[in-house]
Amino acid sequence: MTPENSQGDVRNLVTLDGDAIRKATSGMDLAQRIEGRLAYATDQRHLSGLLYGAILRSACAHALITRVDISRALAMPGVHAVIKADDVPGLNRFGIVIRDQPVFCDERVRYEGDAIAAVAADTPEQARDALNAIDVDYQPLPVVSDATLAEQQPALHDSRETHGGSNLLARETLERGDLDDAFSRCAVIVEHHYQTPRQMHAFMETEGGVAIPDGKGGVLFRAGCQSGHRDAEQLADILGVAREQVTVESTATGGAFGGKDELTVQPAAGLLALKTGRPVMIHLDRFESCRTGMKRHPVAVKMTTGCDAGGRMLAHKAEAILDTGAYASLGPAVLENYLDHATAPLYRIEAYRVSGRLVYTNNGVCGAFRGFGGNQATFAVESQLDELARGLGIEPATLRRINLRSPGDAGSRNQTVRWTAPPACVLAAALDSPLWSRPDTDTGRWMTGTGMAMGAQGNGLGDGLPDSGGGRISLSPAGRICVEFGISDYGQNIVESIIRFVCKGVGCRETDVEVVLGRSRGPDSGPTSASRSTVLVHGVLASILPRWMDAVRGHAARVSGHPVKGLEFGPGGMFFDGQQVLSYGELAGSANLDEMAASASQNFPVAPDSGQPVGRYLQLQIATVARVAVDRLTGRVRVTDLHHVTAAGRVIYPPGYLGQIEGAAVMGQGMALTEDMTTHDGCYQADNLDQYLIPTFHDAPVQRVDVLDDTPEDDPYPVRGVGELGIEAVAPAITAAIEVATGVRVRRLPVDPGDLLVEMAAQEQNL
Amino acid sequence: MSDHYQVPETPAQENISFELNGAAVIRSVPGAGTLLDILRESGQITSARAGCRVGRCGACQVLLDGRAVPSCLVMAWQLPGHHVETVEGLNKDPDFLSVRDALASESALQCGYCTPGFAVSLVAGIRQRRQGSTVDLTESVAGNLCRCTGYGGLRRAIDQLSGPGCPDETDDRGVSLSEKQ
Repeated sequence: MTPENSQGDVRNLVTLDGDAIRKATSGMDLAQRIEGRLAYATDQRHLSGLLYGAILRSACAHALITRVDISRALAMPGVHAVIKADDVPGLNRFGIVIRDQPVFCDERVRYEGDAIAAVAADTPEQARDALNAIDVDYQPLPVVSDATLAEQQPALHDSRETHGGSNLLARETLERGDLDDAFSRCAVIVEHHYQTPRQMHAFMETEGGVAIPDGKGGVLFRAGCQSGHRDAEQLADILGVAREQVTVESTATGGAFGGKDELTVQPAAGLLALKTGRPVMIHLDRFESCRTGMKRHPVAVKMTTGCDAGGRMLAHKAEAILDTGAYASLGPAVLENYLDHATAPLYRIEAYRVSGRLVYTNNGVCGAFRGFGGNQATFAVESQLDELARGLGIEPATLRRINLRSPGDAGSRNQTVRWTAPPACVLAAALDSPLWSRPDTDTGRWMTGTGMAMGAQGNGLGDGLPDSGGGRISLSPAGRICVEFGISDYGQNIVESIIRFVCKGVGCRETDVEVVLGRSRGPDSGPTSASRSTVLVHGVLASILPRWMDAVRGHAARVSGHPVKGLEFGPGGMFFDGQQVLSYGELAGSANLDEMAASASQNFPVAPDSGQPVGRYLQLQIATVARVAVDRLTGRVRVTDLHHVTAAGRVIYPPGYLGQIEGAAVMGQGMALTEDMTTHDGCYQADNLDQYLIPTFHDAPVQRVDVLDDTPEDDPYPVRGVGELGIEAVAPAITAAIEVATGVRVRRLPVDPGDLLVEMAAQEQNL
Repeated sequence: MSDHYQVPETPAQENISFELNGAAVIRSVPGAGTLLDILRESGQITSARAGCRVGRCGACQVLLDGRAVPSCLVMAWQLPGHHVETVEGLNKDPDFLSVRDALASESALQCGYCTPGFAVSLVAGIRQRRQGSTVDLTESVAGNLCRCTGYGGLRRAIDQLSGPGCPDETDDRGVSLSEKQ
């Protein structure tokens, strides 16, 4: 990041196109996935004595339970166990932040996915039949279904310390400067309401896995999850066993996106396994997954933003309500990240006050989801910038250029931040997109338009939360360089990134490296979330590779008789004078392998500022240019193109980087255009993928990803995680493009084609 | 409690015979059971996977007499006299190998759960085109969902499989899809 280009001169812009991908693609793992040979958590039918579990869910969104009678179910054919709340030997609660969700409800159900009992039987059909034979009496309670009214309604959790015993789970305000004074000096002030949907993760492999008892009171879990170590802790507490008696293996998982961060089937499967002494598989079908699984927090926000006559943003205010559903899960952390992004972190604003309230309702459960509140906030913030530009009569890009932060500026929460490129360069590159020069056409039926938005995204858990992780490297008995991390592989290409790091650092070839992930017996790397894995892996390997190589080189010298100096790592083994003198296999066979292992744990990089918890230190940016075509007949919006410019450090594995951006962007498109798990009286209105519509191949746009790799040579964190970046700016880019095409600004997502048609008609009448 | 699969009593089993990947098989299953269940319960077939069980996601796609179908919508009683192919049986088939190589070289997958289903659909599409169909290869994957990739790699793989000289895609609703960038 040189002084010259801090003004927006774009350099080192690389397009990740097909050629780059084909050159870089590692075929190692792909063939077995394509051929269907990779065993997922739900592919464990070969286990001997396997039983099938099923979970009885609530019939009501909110009710007292007055009776649960399992006697008929116990007598059903093939049934081995039926369990309910009083069969939980340990803590009948779980939750990542606050353990407020019952494994099995005993007194009260708070959403229609609540578990009441579970069955283990010889076949899935027998298990389901037995569920139907469990008798439950409910006494319905009024349903809290409107988040804006939730605080005035009776509390869902009477035993918990919520604010004043109400449904307010958390509230938080971030502020700086004199807001009233700043507003008093504004020439233009815009105030609007925005609403974002209850999006569903819709991973292709629904929640599932198997619990295998070890015969000594412990349990091995093979289940789709994102944090094996944390899950093991919670499961041990539920099972009432020591932490060492629980093992979690989480690989491979068929998609997660945050939706497998919380425990899903594991508590019931584990309890049934201990009760029966046999392995128990639970695999939710899509109906049950829709009904019980986590969703993205819907957010309703009122934003007021003002700038002076020169376009400088002076004042910004947000008041948000987040519907967290029946249980806390990661809601309080989502609220924090929402507010972090609601401060408009890319822009200098003199004074702001952004506040949010996180409320319990009976509308399912919300939790972690790619973007984690950030993209919901960015939709509103970027829309406000467009409104200000219109109010001033200037181009949206001009308003952004005036207000974008420069390298060296503090972050929006006064924390030190570390970017890998100046925001002005990202904007400049996006303005160079060929999409802007496509002629806008109005064919009578299809109206086209191009718009853009920007977004910032931090890596790591942030806000002062404990965030650390470790890894280990060793030589396996078979002579492979074995790298272990606790993170899960659900297809995000972290394996390929690890292999690249190791090959580059060691000088070996890809086939020399074996990556083992997601085992709670291995190193604790913390959760596979918050775009933190790549940063952590890079940091840990940078610390342990030199140590490990020294140890291995020393052994190789003793075994081979060659001096340490001059022994080099190479493909397949150790080299001296250009000749291989030892293969890694020979080396492994000749020494105590424990002496050739290295491990380390380190804290995730945070701002060096002392004092209060602050926003994230490692910051990424994206600008997304969207081109849409709007059907004048139906109001339907097609996104034909998305062009992203990213500044997120160096690209380690191009197919992984591109895939994360493209995949997240289409997920964001779904949130913008079709995806919303609406509820009625607390019950979800869609129960499968034929009603809840995620983008198909034919909905997906042509995408282009340009990487602005202006990472300084001396940047200690040259590699960043891009798992969430791609979703950040898609929705506001699409609504900006819709406005260019139709003149209508949409502030409620997903875009309702009927509403859009009405607005378009009104717009045309006004012309 | 799922309201959707309430089976009041375990239905009678029937002996169902059909051809699976070139070999005759007989399975004792409920007549209203699905092909997907038959394949999964055998333990031998892992490529067909339950994603939605309503025929929407394509993760369970197989070839039935050469046509790609979601196996969750094929009833056991429909199978006698028919030939079912899964990826396990296609792994030496030249069409499958070209699909596999295209998907791999374009890195067209992430978690991979949906991928065998896409591969089956593409194999069927390639064979139809060889038999004279002019339907675009992209149409063959209209019944497959992928949540990880955003379909970018699949788009590149389909370009590769369609080969040079393939007519430009045009949208049936009259908007030209964007030119390749």
